[in-house]
Amino acid sequence: MIDFHTYPIMIKELTDSDHLLAQNIHGVLGFHFPSQPLDCFLRELTEAGIDKAVILPLDCTTAHDCIIVSNEQIADLVQCSERLIGFASVDPLQAKAPSKLHEAVCRLGLRGLNLDPAVQRFYPNDPVHAYPIYQVCADLEIPAFIQCGMSWAPSGLAKYSQPLLLEEAVQSFPSVNFILGHFGWPWILDGAMLALKYPNVYVDTAILFSGPPKDAYRHALIEHVGLDVIERSLFQKILFGSSYPRIDVRRSVRGLRSLGLSLAAEKAILGANASHLLFQKDGK
Amino acid sequence: MRSIIRRFEIPTNHETELINITQSIANVIIESGVQEGVVYISSMHTTTGITVNEGLSDLEADIANLIQTLVPDKDLYRHGSFLPSDGQMAVNASAHLRGTLLGFQVYFPIEYGKIVKGSRQTIYYVELDGPQQRTYVVQVVGQ
Repeated sequence: MIDFHTYPIMIKELTDSDHLLAQNIHGVLGFHFPSQPLDCFLRELTEAGIDKAVILPLDCTTAHDCIIVSNEQIADLVQCSERLIGFASVDPLQAKAPSKLHEAVCRLGLRGLNLDPAVQRFYPNDPVHAYPIYQVCADLEIPAFIQCGMSWAPSGLAKYSQPLLLEEAVQSFPSVNFILGHFGWPWILDGAMLALKYPNVYVDTAILFSGPPKDAYRHALIEHVGLDVIERSLFQKILFGSSYPRIDVRRSVRGLRSLGLSLAAEKAILGANASHLLFQKDGK
Repeated sequence: MRSIIRRFEIPTNHETELINITQSIANVIIESGVQEGVVYISSMHTTTGITVNEGLSDLEADIANLIQTLVPDKDLYRHGSFLPSDGQMAVNASAHLRGTLLGFQVYFPIEYGKIVKGSRQTIYYVELDGPQQRTYVVQVVGQ
């Protein structure tokens, strides 16, 4: 089982050694829960039955003059546990973003890209700033995780994070696998449409708006998208993601298991789809 | 009259878990040198508990099961929204309510430099929303 959507922003080893990081986690992301040791995160994964987790940084240099966990820090964390899969982040508004992404993948060994347009404040369909980044993803054969829909970060602006903004990029870069974070909620049907139509679009289950995951998932996935639609046409395009530590991983897994999905769909969403995206290239 | 306070960090491994902390309490009493007094054991959290029972693994499992049955996870609780002061979804109402049932503190008398308790009484730190890194406090008051 793989959690495709976690942030290492509550890890004490990081926040204790980098006070500016702790300050930016509070100020930009609005995250205030006390930090815990890395081992606590790993124990949380174990208790939830998760084998591996993707950890995501965010480069907000232009928008907020900070980087919330650097690519180097992600690479260091990956060295601490083979259960962690590191993604990179770059700021598309910075001229060096494409080369920085290239370096993060080729030198640091990171396996994908994370962008959060609402917080980084760029339009993901901007051909000048965003497309060169997608081109690097194509060249290096890495997935592009684009956070969509509502951001709980106080600084986030939803005008940048509507899923439909990505459609032209999805068409222009057919070899890049785009993952739409949060299923695009509240534009959940837009996210579903893109994932249904385009072979290179996936969505993740980090749907956080009200109530525990079992209620939020039921509301969004069963009542809006439809269990029959998921079973027939979507289950191979959905990745399990919790958005930890915005919510705990345990309840997120339980929420997914409570939906009444077939075992095949559950297995695909909880790991097989992510494994295919992450490891198909090197056969691991 | 003396007052000695010790803080203990405790890593928990499971969502619901009873952890025997009896020996650490005894050690604080010895370290304090207090002969006659009281020891207070308090958790620093609101989704944990402190309780006393017989130190048997089957009972530990029964207590954990009972707590989960009494306060099921699936009920509709009001505590289930985004909490801006934490930056997290606050969806752990069941853990808070279980903590309320158990209480956060116990105390024992101290006599002749030792805790006064029954031979079968075991002091448990109870995790109700783990795994987490937790803290409990032991205060010895006396002379």
